[in-house]
Amino acid sequence: MADIEIEIDGNLVSAKAGEMLIAVTDREGISVPRFCYHKKLSVAANCRMCLVDVEGAPKPQPACSTPINEGMKVHTNNEKVKASQKAVMEFLLINHPLDCPICDQGGECELQDVAMDYGSDVSRFSEGKRVVVDGDIGPLIQTDMTRCIHCTRCVRFGAEIGGIMEMGGTGRGEDLKIEPFLAEGIQSELSGNMIDVCPVGALTSKPFRYELRTWQMNSVSNIARHDLTGSNIVTQTYKGRVKRIVAKDNDSVNETWISDRDRFSYEGLAHENRLLSPQIKVKGEWREVSWDEALEFAMRGLTDKVLNTGEANKLGALASNTATLEEFHLLQKLLREVGSENIDYRLNIKDLENTVTLESNIKLAGLEGVDHVLIIGSNPRLEQPMINHRLRKASLSGASIDVINVMAFDFNYQLNSENIVTPNQIAFMLAEVLKLILQASNAEIPEALSKIEASDTAKQLADRLLDADNSVIILGEHMVNNPQASSIAQLINEIAQQTNSTTLNISATANSMAGDLTEFVPGKKGLDANAMLATGLKAYILLDVYPHFDFHHPAQAIKALSKKDAFVISMNSFKDEAVAQYSDVMLPIASFYETSGSHINIEGKVQSFCASVSAPSDVKPAWKVLKVLADLLQLPGFHFANSMQVTSEISNQGHKQNVSNKKLDIKVKRSVNVIWQKSPYAVDALSRHASALQATKIGQMHSASMNKATAKKLEVAENDNYLGVPVSIRESVANNCVFVNTNKPIRGEL
Amino acid sequence: MINNIKKLIKDFSLSELRGGLKITAKELINKKITVQFPEERTPISPRFRGLHALRRYPNGEERCIACKLCEAVCPANAITIESEMRDDGTRRTTQYDIDLFKCIFCGFCEEACPVDAIVETQIFDYAFVDSREGSIIDKAHLLEVGDNNEQMINETKLEDAKYR
Ligand code: SF4
Ligand code: SF4
Ligand code: SF4
Ligand code: FES
Repeated sequence: MADIEIEIDGNLVSAKAGEMLIAVTDREGISVPRFCYHKKLSVAANCRMCLVDVEGAPKPQPACSTPINEGMKVHTNNEKVKASQKAVMEFLLINHPLDCPICDQGGECELQDVAMDYGSDVSRFSEGKRVVVDGDIGPLIQTDMTRCIHCTRCVRFGAEIGGIMEMGGTGRGEDLKIEPFLAEGIQSELSGNMIDVCPVGALTSKPFRYELRTWQMNSVSNIARHDLTGSNIVTQTYKGRVKRIVAKDNDSVNETWISDRDRFSYEGLAHENRLLSPQIKVKGEWREVSWDEALEFAMRGLTDKVLNTGEANKLGALASNTATLEEFHLLQKLLREVGSENIDYRLNIKDLENTVTLESNIKLAGLEGVDHVLIIGSNPRLEQPMINHRLRKASLSGASIDVINVMAFDFNYQLNSENIVTPNQIAFMLAEVLKLILQASNAEIPEALSKIEASDTAKQLADRLLDADNSVIILGEHMVNNPQASSIAQLINEIAQQTNSTTLNISATANSMAGDLTEFVPGKKGLDANAMLATGLKAYILLDVYPHFDFHHPAQAIKALSKKDAFVISMNSFKDEAVAQYSDVMLPIASFYETSGSHINIEGKVQSFCASVSAPSDVKPAWKVLKVLADLLQLPGFHFANSMQVTSEISNQGHKQNVSNKKLDIKVKRSVNVIWQKSPYAVDALSRHASALQATKIGQMHSASMNKATAKKLEVAENDNYLGVPVSIRESVANNCVFVNTNKPIRGEL
Repeated sequence: MINNIKKLIKDFSLSELRGGLKITAKELINKKITVQFPEERTPISPRFRGLHALRRYPNGEERCIACKLCEAVCPANAITIESEMRDDGTRRTTQYDIDLFKCIFCGFCEEACPVDAIVETQIFDYAFVDSREGSIIDKAHLLEVGDNNEQMINETKLEDAKYR
């Protein structure tokens, strides 16, 4: 669009034709008060606070909905404007209660600020005020709807960003009420953002209620490590504790939004279940000791068991995927220095010979621009909320979205087709698609595909991939333990190459990208996680591992780690019974926001952060513990004064995932497949300890879904226990598939 | 020379002593103005700013709603408040401390309070017991001061109200 010039308060300003006036004044730093306007939401123009004087117009115009045009002359500050601002403010305050002293928004309230700057100091209103009775809308958001000024930001947020219109206006005029449409209240995975957009204290954070004033807290930028986005956040701290988390703008990562998991998981930091002091096991009894003693004990254990006996290859290291880049690096360096390559962070994979190896080669912001998406084996809305948000934006601007899943999920955008396919058939289906694509380009058809007859569904899927100019294929978590996982990845890779599509691998979450980058995977002579536990090593170092949630077969893993002659050093932030059972030393380590480090997000962006608070009592950051342990073992190359020095040692060359070229396995089998997924708020120890999150509907997810036929085959009925999880019979699940989504520990084997 | 003689006469006639005794004699009969503190007290202005008190409503409910405005306005950072939601859903303090060593008795806290909870009373003759901590008075103490002196607080505030 062409640049045009307009005059604001006597100054010439250039802007793009068609822009709204308020966008121009915001860019120029000219203050125009507003309530309903929000840069990421549509324009509603219902609050009238942004009135400005446009020369030639008989009445003041709302800046948020007045497009600019050449030669326009605007005054934002003259008598006419001031009078209208004052009048609008007076009307807004008619029904707004004067309860700032008990309002949590006090001190950070847009209404307070604007009333101070633009309002009048006395009220002429002496009639009765409107009072709204509040309902409980869920464990995350507190409502005080008497304070609502009907700006409809929350309503528009739901409709436009959240994808479900959870809040809405009922009634008219004086009786207009903003309230959730459903009796169950607010349930979406992005709902916390409504707290941020609400300009007044009508929607505030429930776990934070009545605790602190905004001016009492320090704000420290940090990175949320729960998913592959690495959302930018601001942790607000008070007396060394994280008290609230709000979103920080970063257009290339999370825009202005964050997921509820990122916003409310901090509650877990203060949970009573935190591991607070180093402990060693002497004759089967746990004893609290000093750090010196514990580390000495750990060092002795390692030297006696493996290092002095020349059996360094009997030492193994396992880490959870929430470790920071630096922790991954130091632990693998320690192992490699002493001569062991038994290193792994992929604890939940049944068959590590058969893994999903697929590059992600599209930027988060780039997802918005695609015109076709093929999602395979994922429920992105709950797994990766911010990636899903980008997909939703793509969908709204016209992208067609196809899904191949094992169960019908609740998407918050229009799907072109939703194909519910038995896990054992997905590889075959992709093979059909690949064959069609190869045929279309007259390429040679490999032996393995030659006999396939393509179905109509495959034809449609292939056609859309071929037609699209800019498509992306997304591979999700549900395919991780698929018996044909590596073939699926191989097929996707091939399809992507043939159709010029980009790929996005969201099958491993949190900070897994850092695990790959630091090569926290077995070396040539090393054993992988499963092999380590199967052969049984003599010593282990475990970094924030919670066996019941992290291993695919907890019982087996616990048994292997509990072996009499195995010396286990566990570094954890939270207490765990199983950990106490098999460990010989437990070292308390800092959790999220208590340590400095880096997160690598799906597009390979390294985001470093400092500690927002120091860890409680005797808890230490894991990178320091690892450094000191290495020093005690007299290993060279661990002279780090801070975590930044560790970061700079890590070469950032972007780890290449080698796509396997094993023989394709596309045979359709008849066995029942169980897909086990931790519920979205149980993905890591911190979220599992966040009480408000756990109380939400998403946090309570605990069911094994299957269709009637599968239930019959497994001889279970509705509400029976299957693998310790209540059965829920739904026809939306593919045949021969059990989809488990739970916040409880894994019982039995995946 | 002449001055020296004058001085000699003055000294030997004890005139200064007699002048002094005259005042003494006069004061012997005059009305006494000595205030026998603490049995007697000088009058103080209703605007006097002494020891703090936290007040209650007539129904016994504490007034303070933990808005923390007093804490924010206090130029000496003498006030420390912690708050949470009480079981009945209202906003209340769990801790309300005033450090009387830091306090400069400016009265800003009283001015800032939207519900007239924190006030400064006419009491100035309080003592600190032994320790540094003794100079910090807590919520229970402040409420007690309020409870014991509600009538005085009420009267003085009423008296001053017409000038505000
Ligand atoms: S609740 Fe808040 S965001 Fe929603 S309409 Fe009311 S004032 Fe606006
Ligand atoms: S009188 Fe002044 S210095 Fe003393 S507590 Fe009140 S505001 Fe602070
Ligand atoms: S004493 Fe008054 S100003 Fe201070 S917190 Fe309580 S209500 Fe607020
Ligand atoms: S901001 Fe323009 S009308 Fe509300």
